[in-house]
Amino acid sequence: MQNIINFLLLILWQSVSLAVEFETAITATGRWFINTDNGDSQSLRLNLIPELDVGFNNGWQFTSSLRLQAEVINGLQIDDINRANYSDYTKPALLNREIELELREFYIQGDISNTFVSLGKQQITWGKADGLKVLDIVNPQSFREFILDDFDNSRIPLWTVNIEFPVAEWNFQVLWIPDQTYHELPKQNATFAFSSPEVVPAGPPGIQVNLKQAERPNNIFLDSDFGIRASTFWQGWDITFNYLYQYNNMPVLRQQLAISDGKPAVTITPEYERTHVFGTTFSNAFADWVIRGEIGYFTDHFFIAKTPFLNQGVVKSPELHYVFGVDWNAPLDILVSMQLIQSWIFYGADKITRDRLDTSITALIRRNYLYDTLVAEILLIANINNGDGIIRPKIIYEWQDNVKTWIGADIFYGDRQGIFGQFNQNSRIAFGIEVSY
Amino acid sequence: MRTPVSIFIFLVTFFSASSVLAELLPGDEIARRINARDEGEAVSRLLLMEMTDSRGKQRIRKTKGYRKYFGDEKRTVIFYLAPKNIKGTAFLTYDYPQPDKSDDQWLYLPAMRKVRRISASDRGDYFLGTDFSYEDIKLETRVSMADYQRITTGESEVDGFHCLIMESKPVNVEIAAELGYSKVEQCIDDTIWMVRQSKMWDTQGNLLKTINFKDIRGIQGIWTQHVIEVDNHKTGHHTRFVFSDVQYNQGISDQIFTKNALKRGQ
Repeated sequence: MQNIINFLLLILWQSVSLAVEFETAITATGRWFINTDNGDSQSLRLNLIPELDVGFNNGWQFTSSLRLQAEVINGLQIDDINRANYSDYTKPALLNREIELELREFYIQGDISNTFVSLGKQQITWGKADGLKVLDIVNPQSFREFILDDFDNSRIPLWTVNIEFPVAEWNFQVLWIPDQTYHELPKQNATFAFSSPEVVPAGPPGIQVNLKQAERPNNIFLDSDFGIRASTFWQGWDITFNYLYQYNNMPVLRQQLAISDGKPAVTITPEYERTHVFGTTFSNAFADWVIRGEIGYFTDHFFIAKTPFLNQGVVKSPELHYVFGVDWNAPLDILVSMQLIQSWIFYGADKITRDRLDTSITALIRRNYLYDTLVAEILLIANINNGDGIIRPKIIYEWQDNVKTWIGADIFYGDRQGIFGQFNQNSRIAFGIEVSY
Repeated sequence: MRTPVSIFIFLVTFFSASSVLAELLPGDEIARRINARDEGEAVSRLLLMEMTDSRGKQRIRKTKGYRKYFGDEKRTVIFYLAPKNIKGTAFLTYDYPQPDKSDDQWLYLPAMRKVRRISASDRGDYFLGTDFSYEDIKLETRVSMADYQRITTGESEVDGFHCLIMESKPVNVEIAAELGYSKVEQCIDDTIWMVRQSKMWDTQGNLLKTINFKDIRGIQGIWTQHVIEVDNHKTGHHTRFVFSDVQYNQGISDQIFTKNALKRGQ
């Protein structure tokens, strides 16, 4: 990895003499969340993102950005996140318990003949779904705020070699990701720590549970992720075929019962496991409607067993995960967007803590007013199996080109056993302001 | 005595006016000449957008736009360069020559980091906070032959230039609802076959917008508008487009008109 960084720095250094255009920007975002259950502040956060873009007269471009993030509320502080998921080259610098500094982007991109090359720390987005992810898994995600933060903020950029080239009517993208960084998960005492039995194992009552540090793969070459995507435009359809060979970004939580000091204790060992991902996406427009979807087949996924000590508390199965969505441009400039998301487990469904077929739906209604300076929207994400979900109304107003504010709410409902219901005491009102120059 | 004289004057005036109208080119012929005008196989240009609301609050966008013909198919792409909050946004249209084939359109929003397919029936919606509709943006200096029936109603003058007045009405109520217009009146400079002024009425029959095309100059032998001003009479909103660095047929790569280019910012 150090060699790659040195190579990038060398390219940058040699390119400085070719630089023709420097562009800088800075964005400051302040957010305040109030818990609706108890009226306490849930989060008070400041983000500062300076950016530098350099254009070269040979058409290449260098992009970089940092993110300074400060959080003053206990439970969502920087140190409340388990950071064992990060590779040494990607891990944000922890300045103190409240503040971290992260290199968000650092890449150079350009064309070599007909081939587009992008090298460095960057985000790669696949898929057509909104709000939930099926194929948008190339980059891991921070779950510091569950799925409430914008994906652009919560997606963790990785050191990536991205090459794209056309072949006849197709465009191919090849990815090499020698960066062993995975999902960022909250610690057990954090505000958005997972507790649903579908996500984390529940130890038997009265038995001590010890959570070990995740065993993260660390061979830059052998443990790299690889991906390829072929995309085309055929008969009005946008179509892609995707393949990804990756470590699942969510660790497998294996359990072992042992006697410690004469008492039984459960030790949970998080381990990362590889999977092949085969996928496809599609979209087309018909009159007022846009139809879109994505399908992902994962060869090796692990699910939490009902019986803690069966196969170390996990069941392995292929998973079919898909989304079908429709966007309707309704009268009065109203956008209505609906999605059906389902996940199907092929084997051992009777032995795991979730259903064989898990179904969620999303519904978004959005309307722009005042020449797009005012946006009002409401988003519902609901899990049908557990009867839980989240409702997210939001109003955004752009005071000037560089100043916008918003007010919204994240309202969880449902049983605490569910993916969304586990946070039913975390509902909140949100206030935010963003200023950019 | 007065009555026969009055009738005589009326008849002379009536037939004179009729003969003038009869001499004017029919609306379809004017439209054909507008669309036949050379606009270059390809063009690149910088565009400054100034949007001012009724209270005087102004927003400014800087963009770079490209347009290229692939046979009869027209592809247009616009990249937003500034300000920061909208930088990286990009819009791509494939406009097909077949009247019954809908355009294909894509929008890239940097906050989503995804290229989204958008419905072409949005064409009557306002384009990204301006007073132009998506259809206005797509047509540029052209007029739609399929969407309207048109007649020539007379002659006039705009900014000192003689022009023919062409009145266009959507062919049916569905098209009118899609476009958001019940009538369009355009003043066409009959020496260069460019629209100097357009007026649009909404579907309720109220005057909605007036568009003035200014600073029309020849660039590489092609007549080119450099300023377009839109007054929205309904909202009091005003949009001003200023074009610069206009270059025709300068070897614009086909790859700029792709979804991948939208993501990369060209």
